[in-house]
Amino acid sequence: MVKFLIPYIGKYKKDVVWAVITITIAAVTSLWQPKLLQQVVQAIADDKMNLMIPLGIQLIVVALIGLVAGAINTIFAAKIGTGTAADLRAAEYKKVQTFSFGNIERFSTGSLVVRMTNDVQQVQTIVMVFFQSLLRVPILFIGALVLALTTLPRLWWVILVMVILVVVITMGVLSPMGKLFGKFQNLLDKTNNMAKENLQGVRVVKSFNQEHNEEVRFDANSKELTDINIKIGYLFGILMPAFMLIGELAIAVSIIFVARNIVSDPTMLGALTSFVNYLMQIMNAIVMAGFMSMFAARGIESTKRIKEVMDTKPDLTFDANAAEEKLSGDVEFDHVSFAYPGDEHEVLKDVSFKVKQGEMIGLVGATGSGKSTLAQLIPRLYDPTDGVVEVGHENLKKVNEKSLRKAVAFVQQKAILFSGKISDNLKQGKFDADSADMKHAADMAQAAEFIEKYDDQYEHEVEERSANFSGGQKQRLSIARGVIGNPSVLILDDSTSALDARSEKLVQEALEADLPDTTKFVIAEKISSVIKADRIFVMQDGELIAAGTHRELVASSPVYREIYETQKAQEVID
Amino acid sequence: MQSLWHAIKFFARYFKHYKLGMLIIAVFTILATYFQVKAPVYMGKAIQEIANYLMLKSNPATAKQASMTQVYNAVEMFLLFIVMMGVGLFIVSMAQAIISSRSVDDMRTGLFAKIQRMTVKYFDSHRDGEVLSRFTSDLDNIFNAMNEAIFQLFAQLVLLIGVVIMMFHQNVQLAWVTIASTPIAVLLSVIIITQAQRYVNLQQEEVGHLNGYVNEQINGEKVIITNGLQAGSIDEFMEHNDKVQQATYRGQVWSGILNPLMMGMSLVNTAIVIFFGGYLALNGSLDRATALGMIVMFVNFSQQFYQPISQITSTYNMLQLAVTGARRLDEVFAQKDEVSPAEPVAFDGLKDKVELDDIHFSYNPGKEILHGISIEVDKGKMVALVGPTGSGKTTVMNLLNRFYDVDSGAVKFDGIDVRDMSLKNLRDHVGIVLQDSIIFTGTIRYNITYGKPDATDEEVVSAAKQANIHDFIMSLPEQYDTEVSDENSVFSTGQKQLLSIARTILTNPELLILDEATSNVDTVTEAKIQKAMDNVIAGRTSFVIAHRLKTILNADKIVVLKNGNIIEEGTHQELLAQDGFYAELYHNQMVFE
Repeated sequence: MVKFLIPYIGKYKKDVVWAVITITIAAVTSLWQPKLLQQVVQAIADDKMNLMIPLGIQLIVVALIGLVAGAINTIFAAKIGTGTAADLRAAEYKKVQTFSFGNIERFSTGSLVVRMTNDVQQVQTIVMVFFQSLLRVPILFIGALVLALTTLPRLWWVILVMVILVVVITMGVLSPMGKLFGKFQNLLDKTNNMAKENLQGVRVVKSFNQEHNEEVRFDANSKELTDINIKIGYLFGILMPAFMLIGELAIAVSIIFVARNIVSDPTMLGALTSFVNYLMQIMNAIVMAGFMSMFAARGIESTKRIKEVMDTKPDLTFDANAAEEKLSGDVEFDHVSFAYPGDEHEVLKDVSFKVKQGEMIGLVGATGSGKSTLAQLIPRLYDPTDGVVEVGHENLKKVNEKSLRKAVAFVQQKAILFSGKISDNLKQGKFDADSADMKHAADMAQAAEFIEKYDDQYEHEVEERSANFSGGQKQRLSIARGVIGNPSVLILDDSTSALDARSEKLVQEALEADLPDTTKFVIAEKISSVIKADRIFVMQDGELIAAGTHRELVASSPVYREIYETQKAQEVID
Repeated sequence: MQSLWHAIKFFARYFKHYKLGMLIIAVFTILATYFQVKAPVYMGKAIQEIANYLMLKSNPATAKQASMTQVYNAVEMFLLFIVMMGVGLFIVSMAQAIISSRSVDDMRTGLFAKIQRMTVKYFDSHRDGEVLSRFTSDLDNIFNAMNEAIFQLFAQLVLLIGVVIMMFHQNVQLAWVTIASTPIAVLLSVIIITQAQRYVNLQQEEVGHLNGYVNEQINGEKVIITNGLQAGSIDEFMEHNDKVQQATYRGQVWSGILNPLMMGMSLVNTAIVIFFGGYLALNGSLDRATALGMIVMFVNFSQQFYQPISQITSTYNMLQLAVTGARRLDEVFAQKDEVSPAEPVAFDGLKDKVELDDIHFSYNPGKEILHGISIEVDKGKMVALVGPTGSGKTTVMNLLNRFYDVDSGAVKFDGIDVRDMSLKNLRDHVGIVLQDSIIFTGTIRYNITYGKPDATDEEVVSAAKQANIHDFIMSLPEQYDTEVSDENSVFSTGQKQLLSIARTILTNPELLILDEATSNVDTVTEAKIQKAMDNVIAGRTSFVIAHRLKTILNADKIVVLKNGNIIEEGTHQELLAQDGFYAELYHNQMVFE
């Protein structure tokens, strides 16, 4: 995992060098101080006043250097951390922009967002902490160890016992702690999910009089969570006093040892004070390492998740050498079969058809019959597993991406608008659209009637989540975005579902009149939406089982007739 | 300051349940601190005694008097004190773990219980995420603060006071030297914290923008792909990303620099103490052995003295989050509860009719939604409410189950005002099927028996059969024990509707409120839903917000609402004969949004 981050951090080589230098200086100064303390004590013992002033100046200068180095280190660490994070985020974002439909669906949009926001944030923190503190730990540990051993070599066993004890306790506490944390996180998710469901279903809870039962269930969960929290608290509670105790005990043992041997070696008295200081630093380093490792685990988890995104190959790529061209509205499927990646079930089975420029094709069939999938192959959102899809007599696998995007407009059922202005959203369909283009498109989509009621018309603000538009308005704007570029092929994937019948009819009439040369694929649940199509394709279990006009199909296709009859029964019972 | 005071009251409310625990924490913190600050005194004394011993021993005249007893005594005392300190700290930690976990438990369950009591109005006017963040981030912040900041604050303050007292007790001159740099440290902290706050806020703002942008773009990625907008999307992202980098850089520098600075200050202060101590030892009134002990002691004190200062400053952010969290939790606690009458009129089943009597209603004062609506339904009959979006259909439904109270007029069951019944009594007799089906995490059985947890298996199966979902459930490997949730895809949208119909059938309500779903489902499921709907409506008094023509045709009475008024009322034939709004809608291919 760390390997993955190295190139990103490597970009900040200079800063890394400076961060390492400054943190080393800061660590060295804190190791140096006890040495100077030892000399001061020795000077007092030897009654050498003349040494006091230079020693004092050294002490203060060293400490000041440590202070400044520590502060400067933060600046470099922050630069590396935030820089790495920004680069990582940008790389991830660019990567995602190369993704196909399939890639995005497999990750799910929510997960992709988290990987670009929270996970990057985690990495930023861990990188910064690494250059601020983590690096300090080995320097302090090794430095203090070496200095302690040289200061009072005969007390090596005190250090050894202390280190072993601290390591054993740290490991002993951290490993059950890790397990408890895992349980804690699960329970916390469960508890929060319960709260979420109760918020969503507040009317159900109330009308079924389940408030009390919900509380009982929630309380039981919360209690379990609390028990784990208390256990975690106990473990932490053992840690700090235990460390302090071990450290101070080591000091006591050292004092006694020095006292017993002071006659044979009087310099041990001065050494004792700095030895005690080093003991403390060794212990701090181990404790810090323990906590950092727990902390790092989270960062590694996030890195893993970012790496997954970066390692993903786009399902399909466009031929970069293909020349730009204008594609006509002829569409052909030649023995096309399709299964979603990782799924054996064929959603489309050997579908073949030819559609001429300007035709209007209706696509009907039950949910799961493959009609949306068929439509998604036309703008090459997926590649067929078998067979060839052609638009304008070009195999989509060899077509230029820009040409295809220009030629095929795809309007989804779920109308997605972006915050900004209405005009920004329309221009997504044609980047250089002028106000006449916009008006024309909005007219076709029956959107002009409400847009032009606003004082600022096409400059009207689209709020986040397009909260200021109704479902029908969103669909109309989304259709306008689809038609503004005068595409060769227009696909409406159930994109008038929120429109009333009158508006739906008006939209279809306008498309017919204003885009006579555009091939139109209209996917619909209601047969009434496609009754006027030049041809209607009937899909069942991935197969194109019938095609023809409404009149022909009523006469020839039992499946079509059944759908039609059920819907008719609902609509006309006079 | 006011928010701080508010937060103190907030925490006091929870802590007061743990009086003994709080007392233990207070007493043992003070004791442990006493042992902690006193221990260095004995350490210094031990050094002093060793020095003394050495001096006596090295002088042949006094060598005989030299004894280690004093050294051992000092070390014994030192040991005693550190063990006591360890025990004290341990007890404090245990008590803290219990109190902070339990208090947060009290807050969490209290918040959940509050949510169960609050009016539907609150949930309709606040986004779920906003309320949910009280559970996720605010409680989290409070818990972290309790673990790492609130009790620490107390402990560190005691330590600070303890160290200061002990220092002045030992040597006034050195004590002054040790605390001399405090004003600089405090000033530095205040400046840095203020700056950090400013830049962290800016950082959060930019991060918020970026996250919003990423969220929107990724959610709209399909539009981006089909329109080939990737390059533009990346350009705009980079603008946000650069801003975030600049802002986080400043934010991280300012918030990250405090700790190393305080560590540095501690180092400098210790240097000053050593220097001055050495100077005193050689020029002052102290004898050398005492001076040596003093230096060792004060080096320890200096470190102990700076620990609380840097601890308190580094937990400042955490404390502030907890203060905010306390305020946000109290905002919820301050909301109105649903009111149930103190002496409710008993209602034991509908005998005659349900009536809405001249109802005026507004969600927000001054914006009346229903302008004097009266509808009567006889027992066993079905009313279909139709009308365009915003006509007030849903509002009528909200009043029947008393999710909202009327401004004037009354909803009456057999002449009893719903406001005179207990809420439970009322809702026991009223069942609802909502447009959006709600699935709770749990088994299918749990979801069906939601309103009647003690239902028998026969009852469950019968309800599922009537709702046309039994066969599907039996086709699943785990059948009724299959785990479902809102997110997993065991059920399609249509099947979720069937499940929620089964749930309502099982409770066998007398009055049914049904909001037909408008979502598109395939014809097979559609037919199933229609059948299930017929089953649930059969034999019950029902109000249906109808979207399907068939449902409307089945109604005993159709009420046409527009802009909060009833504009037409009657059977299908009667309304067609009137040739008004309904007839127009009908001829326009029947679309009722």
